[in-house]
Amino acid sequence: MNIEIKELVFAYPNGVLALEGVTVGIPTGSLVAIVGQNGAGKTTLVKHLNGLLRPTSGLVQIGDWDTRQRSVAELANRIGFIFQNPDDQLFCRTVKEEVQFGPRSLGFENDRIETLVEAALELTELHEKASQNPYDLSPAWRKMVALASILAMDTPIVVMDEPTTGQDAVSIERISRIVQSLHGSGKTVIAITHDIDFCAENFERMIVMRQGMVVLDGPIQEVVAEREMLASTYVEQPQITRLAKRLGFSTIVYKPDDFIRVLHDS
Amino acid sequence: MPDRLSFFIPRESRVHSLNPLTKLALAFSLIILAFFGPGLFLPVALYFFVLVPLSLLGKVGKEFLQTSFRLLLPLFAFLFVMQSLFYPGGETVIFSFWIFSATSEGVVFAFRTATRILVMVSSFLLLLLTTHPSTLMNDLSRRGVPASLSYIITSTLQIIPQMQARAVTIQDAQRSRGLDTGGNLINRIRSLLPLVGPLVFSSLVDVEERAIAIEARAFTLPVKKTSLIDIPDSRGEAVLRWVMAALSLMTIGYRIWLSLN
Ligand SMILES: Nc1ncnc2c1ncn2[C@@H]1O[C@H](COP(=O)(O)OP(=O)(O)OP(=O)(O)O)[C@@H](O)[C@H]1O
Ligand SMILES: [Mg+2]
Repeated sequence: MNIEIKELVFAYPNGVLALEGVTVGIPTGSLVAIVGQNGAGKTTLVKHLNGLLRPTSGLVQIGDWDTRQRSVAELANRIGFIFQNPDDQLFCRTVKEEVQFGPRSLGFENDRIETLVEAALELTELHEKASQNPYDLSPAWRKMVALASILAMDTPIVVMDEPTTGQDAVSIERISRIVQSLHGSGKTVIAITHDIDFCAENFERMIVMRQGMVVLDGPIQEVVAEREMLASTYVEQPQITRLAKRLGFSTIVYKPDDFIRVLHDS
Repeated sequence: MPDRLSFFIPRESRVHSLNPLTKLALAFSLIILAFFGPGLFLPVALYFFVLVPLSLLGKVGKEFLQTSFRLLLPLFAFLFVMQSLFYPGGETVIFSFWIFSATSEGVVFAFRTATRILVMVSSFLLLLLTTHPSTLMNDLSRRGVPASLSYIITSTLQIIPQMQARAVTIQDAQRSRGLDTGGNLINRIRSLLPLVGPLVFSSLVDVEERAIAIEARAFTLPVKKTSLIDIPDSRGEAVLRWVMAALSLMTIGYRIWLSLN
């Protein structure tokens, strides 16, 4: 399902102009990371995708739907949105109920709900914790519950706002696997992140935002090469890219595997 | 986050820059004057010749008039109808219809009560419109009101806007998961139910976290605290407060003297 954002301008009621004309197209099956400094407008942008915010001017289309004409609940059929803070999202008594909530609200058949919930719990490794209260879990696991509760909705597009913040290495690993698995089943994954290494290792396309505008947009290898532009929005190049540069590699690398390959070849 | 619960309107004015205690003293002495002072028309006079001009000086005239009318008109209508018709012991009938008759004693009583309430409500309104609640609290605790008391008051003032913000966030999360919170009444109520738990729960967590946070900053240490925020006060204002206190005392004295004779 394609996403079309055209000339999107958004001002908060208090007058803050958070988006100043953003045009982005995201075709089905994309793996897109959005980066940029605090307050660049990343969250504001993705909240337009599921209708939590409506354009002040401009257009946001999800498939053939114009978000202005759809309710958030309707858009939930197409967009799964994982909030930055899982505590803003969890409200059920047990992990399982939490995960069931989405597909139930969407009115799926019981069998399908059961299958989806199982799959989501499997992917997030929450099986043993299914009957616990989400609030008894550690923040890292609460994040997993938040993820599972969205995965179970089986939406063609999944949006994650800062999935890796505050997560340990094991958990980040798990999130990477989830992203890859979603990608494998043909879904579009959009993630906001400050973790440039996570972004370089898992995504194909990168959108860089600064002060309400998109300043860079392209395949990761092209975007990470733009050191100055990245620095202007306080984003550093991936560690591996910087290391390669210091070692005098002639090509831009952004994944450990590529790094090793180039190292072998030279 | 906008604090929708406080009436405060941030503007630059002579009234805004007065010390909060002065405004508090003014409110109290106006109320005492209105309730215990002489004459039927004193409260109205206080309203039109003191409170309204002060609200204009404070650049909140429009909001002041609007809010005081909106709050008080229904009450006044109710008072006048009830008191002028049912005031016990009213004898001088002004007009009557069917089984009701309005007496002038009733009308006078209603007028007196209504205008006193007008002064009471609007003098606090003036205070609240021109003073941020935390400034008032800071000033009071600087003057020796126990900090825990001002904490209780300010945190109570804050809790509703906080819970509102929280409710919006949780509702956003629910809608994002396909829950239809719009539409008909039943839908709305159904969508509110799952909200209550997390709302109360997270508010309790907030309270605990805040308690730990202020504890960690030596809130309960029994020493004299200094104030970070400097709230301007002047000799002139202190004198003014004494004058108002004296005036209030005199009014009360006058009332006692009257009742003794
Ligand atoms: N509810 C709101 N009301 C008013 N202004 C807001 C609101 N939310 C965000 N803003 C402002 O809009 C701008 C963009 O905010 P946004 O949250 O989209 O940034 P972000 O790129 O997600 O930042 P972060 O990396 O900190 O999450 C900021 O200037 C922010 O202060
Ligand atoms: Mg954000």
